[in-house]
Amino acid sequence: MLLSFAQWIQFTAFFTALRGSANIYPIVMSLHMVGIALFGGMILMTDLRLLGWAMRKRSIADVVEQLRVPKRWGLLLTVTCGILMAGSKAEEYYYNAFFRTKLILFALVIIQELVFYRSVYANPAALDSSPGIPANAKLAAALSLLLWTSIACCGRGIGYIEPPLDKIHAQLRFVNTAALVDARGPSLPKGWDY
Amino acid sequence: MFLLLLQNAIADALNSSEWVFPIAECFHIAAFAWSIGLIAIVDLRLFGVGIGHSTPPQILKATAPWTLIGLAVVLLSGPILFLSDPRMYLHNPSFVFKMYALALAIIFNYTIHRKVASSDSSSQGVRVLVGAVSLALWVSVVFGGLFIAFA
Repeated sequence: MLLSFAQWIQFTAFFTALRGSANIYPIVMSLHMVGIALFGGMILMTDLRLLGWAMRKRSIADVVEQLRVPKRWGLLLTVTCGILMAGSKAEEYYYNAFFRTKLILFALVIIQELVFYRSVYANPAALDSSPGIPANAKLAAALSLLLWTSIACCGRGIGYIEPPLDKIHAQLRFVNTAALVDARGPSLPKGWDY
Repeated sequence: MFLLLLQNAIADALNSSEWVFPIAECFHIAAFAWSIGLIAIVDLRLFGVGIGHSTPPQILKATAPWTLIGLAVVLLSGPILFLSDPRMYLHNPSFVFKMYALALAIIFNYTIHRKVASSDSSSQGVRVLVGAVSLALWVSVVFGGLFIAFA
């Protein structure tokens, strides 16, 4: 069922056009990276503050609450571009072990958020009034750092797995690139999926 | 000539394991997200967005050591990626663009950007301009890096 959904979505007119475009696809990928940079920095700073390693002169409430909005913009940009990329190669991604791992890690990060939402994220002022930073806030921050870093690495890993060509129905750009490699010699970076 | 031989030797070492390149790349990506993101926090504060109870100098002071750690990891992992296939990268226009943008971004970050962000008295117009230039430079670096694969 998931597979037929993946096949359906990648052959919609929108994603077919995106997959075939020489310029839009790398731009979407670059914006995905820009979003990661924005979001990653905000997450890092929030987590470091929760751990008590950085910005100790600022209250936790200040850091957590005031980075929240730009952080969400960064996440929105990253997720939007991510959906655009995954949608245009949905069938290939369905078979990709790193993509599957990444989705599982997303589920874990959502669970992490829900578990710690009430005690940490929804009420950072309470953390400031406690004598030391509570252990559960530190645990939340450590888990967040670990999960988001793993997600970024899995994202990169997606490009390293050769798609099972016999099972893929979409005409992908790397097929054309293979001919280019023959003509120009092996001059392309390793691991990039085209 | 010697340099080329040395590069080939290093490239062979790097290419002898299929794990070196992806692992270096993961460090590169995680660390660039951290460092550029932290710089972006300062830039957003220069725009007047973000941690409003802190002044730009306070935010710069708090983030600068972490930014430097991130940049150090980026600048250590980057050459590892480069040395795996120097000739390809040197002939890649996106890579060349990225190196220029990176040099400009780093110089800008540690001169004008630092001066304006660490001053309590810089005018709002100057702050917005410097924040915008900083963001534009770092976004160019990210685009240049990604387009290496598409050049």
